[in-house]
Amino acid sequence: MFRFIFRRLLQVIPVLFIIITATFFMVRFVPGGPFTAEKAIPPEILKNIEAHYGLDQPLWRQYLNYLGKIAHGDLGPSFKYSNRSVNEIIADKLPVSLELGALALACALSIGLTLGVVAAVRRNSGLDYLASSLGMLGICVPTFVLGPLLVLFFAIHLGWVNASGWYTAADRVLPALTLGLVYAAYIMRLTRAGMLEVLHQDYIRTARAKGATEFRIITRHALRGGLLPVVSFLGPATAGILTGSFIIETIFQIPGLGREFVNSAFNRDYTLVLGTVMLYAGLIVLLNLAADVVQVWLNPKLKFA
Amino acid sequence: MFGWKSNRPSRYWALSAVSLLCTLSGCKKPAEAQPAAPILRVSQRNEPATLDPQLATLPDEFFIIRALGEGLLTPSPANGAPQPAVATHWSISPDGRIYTFTLNPEARWSNGTPVVAADFVASLERGLTPATAAPKAALFFPLKNAEAFYAGREKDFKAVGVRALPDGQLELTLTEPQADFLSLVASGPWIPLHRSQLAPASSHEKSPAAGASPKNYIGNGPFMLSAWRPHQAIIVTRNPTYRAASSIKLTAIHFIAFDNGDSEERAFRAGQLDVTMSVPFHKLPAYRLSQPPVLRSVPQQETRYLAINTTRPPLTDPRVRQALALALNRRTLTEKVLQGGQVPAYTFIPPGLAHYESGLGLQEDLTAARRLLAAAGFPQGRGFPHLELTTWYPASVLEVIQQVWRRELGIEITLAQREARTHLVALAAGDYDLALVTAIPDYPSAANLFTQLTSGHPANYPHWHNAEFDRLVRAGNQQSSQALRHRAYSAAEKILLEDMPLIPLYFNMQNFLIRPAVKNWQTDGLWTRFFAGLTLD
Repeated sequence: MFRFIFRRLLQVIPVLFIIITATFFMVRFVPGGPFTAEKAIPPEILKNIEAHYGLDQPLWRQYLNYLGKIAHGDLGPSFKYSNRSVNEIIADKLPVSLELGALALACALSIGLTLGVVAAVRRNSGLDYLASSLGMLGICVPTFVLGPLLVLFFAIHLGWVNASGWYTAADRVLPALTLGLVYAAYIMRLTRAGMLEVLHQDYIRTARAKGATEFRIITRHALRGGLLPVVSFLGPATAGILTGSFIIETIFQIPGLGREFVNSAFNRDYTLVLGTVMLYAGLIVLLNLAADVVQVWLNPKLKFA
Repeated sequence: MFGWKSNRPSRYWALSAVSLLCTLSGCKKPAEAQPAAPILRVSQRNEPATLDPQLATLPDEFFIIRALGEGLLTPSPANGAPQPAVATHWSISPDGRIYTFTLNPEARWSNGTPVVAADFVASLERGLTPATAAPKAALFFPLKNAEAFYAGREKDFKAVGVRALPDGQLELTLTEPQADFLSLVASGPWIPLHRSQLAPASSHEKSPAAGASPKNYIGNGPFMLSAWRPHQAIIVTRNPTYRAASSIKLTAIHFIAFDNGDSEERAFRAGQLDVTMSVPFHKLPAYRLSQPPVLRSVPQQETRYLAINTTRPPLTDPRVRQALALALNRRTLTEKVLQGGQVPAYTFIPPGLAHYESGLGLQEDLTAARRLLAAAGFPQGRGFPHLELTTWYPASVLEVIQQVWRRELGIEITLAQREARTHLVALAAGDYDLALVTAIPDYPSAANLFTQLTSGHPANYPHWHNAEFDRLVRAGNQQSSQALRHRAYSAAEKILLEDMPLIPLYFNMQNFLIRPAVKNWQTDGLWTRFFAGLTLD
């Protein structure tokens, strides 16, 4: 297994290199630059600013300089926030996104798994229909509808929580719920489908024949196989959920990385775009690897090749 | 292989148990909606890139910078003449070239040291040093030799027209008389920086004034920076050393970050905000009826216009440009489409900008528009090429304009939306036919707007050249008599309306929500906010 993980980790290096190179040049070929402003800046002043940031050098040299910097772990200064480096911005914003993501993921798993298992076990019952309808609703209602609805009810109508912000523990509830419910819906549907397939397998009938209790059959025998589709979904989904959501962060004014990621592209903040892209790419690769490892662990038919 | 095959259901339950935590977390009530101390909570729309007055570019940044520092003069509420700030009074030499400012001996930095003329000299030197890369350096260029120093042609800053006099006064020498110079001195980038924040000018990123650490921020304004949490809140507290500390009634202001009008409005309703930046369009009718009234509208000296690319045929023909401009009914656009209190614009210069009112304006006239179009060779729009109208946001007003031109003039226009910066680059490069543009002067001055349309100016998006217009604007800028100055501007404006390099649409209105407890909230038409005398019941 360790050889497998090590080999996969080695593959990360060329993948990241290609992503960095492609992003570096793509973002430079977009019209406009970090200092394009609504109030036009006189050319001689713009020239000074660009010289200050080394943007007047040939692109290949800027690229090599950048590679040299990131080899030392320095993601460079932000072009938009002149007093902060990209490292500082990520260090500042990533924990917020991670916290929100972890809470949302916990929400998604607890609701999604529970409903999925119940729906599969009580197939075609009222409970199943209720759970399936909720799942469908969760997938269909976008977060930018659900979020404001929750705010209107819980923050403005009932006054239980703040409408936005990220200060108290209570401020975490609505965003985590909004972000979590969408994923809960997917997890619920995947769990239900996975469980239904497994519950018809011969080994479940064998377990029943041996007189195992229904609880034991589900937790010990069925869940293990039933969770496989959920696990492969969770790899990339966790990367997405942990690195922040632009929409949720905007609705609830959460100082997370998701907004920086999107806004950096609008601001042409080249270094911040590259820093966040690199981080996301790295996380996706790592979490896919983790999903693969868990798959092998859950599925006796698979081996580390 | 790993011994993982044994049945361990606990693993699955551990997963679910952790996940249950989220549903249990946080059942506490939020912080009290209304703080006991007079702390004002204001929405901040754009996260400031910097709080350094010489590096900042956005009005949103200057909201906070003006709480933290003040220049020789300050703009005045309701668009009046500049008011004394650090300078108590000033004199102007008869030739209009030398300004001598007497500084208030009470003026103090937040560390207690007096604000002296040398501080202004040092600040200007830093602002004009090329390595500082100040985006608004052009606001210092009227000073003698300032532009030469900035461009590196003049190496010695002593040659630049700024001098601390032995008696503590500050003397500014201009290259040529400039009538609106005092408004310029009151503009944000003229706010001085404390000496500790100036050197070395080259380390842009490390400038303490840029707000790296609130502890190091030394200002001379009514408030001091006490916390800066990016994308969350900037907190300023009362500065006890401020020269007019008694006029400041608030203990603190929280500038709370919002980048979305809907979230902001919900936070206002939930009692988390005292003043918002805007009101979502669809909520305006409801707030117009609200009791007690919380909706406030302030006319902005901001012109929305359609730039015409005067280098592309058939837009090179002034008759075509006239026809396009005269065919619109601006009152319908503002009252039926925009519905936010915007004022129809019949000319480029917003009303009341530095007391300039020429009374000039285009006369909407459909018959004349059709006649002009026919005279230009396109009767009923026949043979008129298919033009594109570009914008950076989906503006419904443009769809109406598209329909009007199609119906009344028989010409086809395609609407195209470009991402904001792509749009700006296309404007500057002249890579468009017609484009929506917003013009906000840097400081309250008609000259500032007129100058934008002179040949070769970077904001001359129509890429229009008119030597007589250039001459008149320049003559007006140098004229110290207001009557003569306005006469020159009027003549220039007349040329603008005849040659029509742009189609004025409307002057913008800022609609925002404010809690009735906030008293004395004052603004001007250029997004300046005033903190003196502001109270909270």
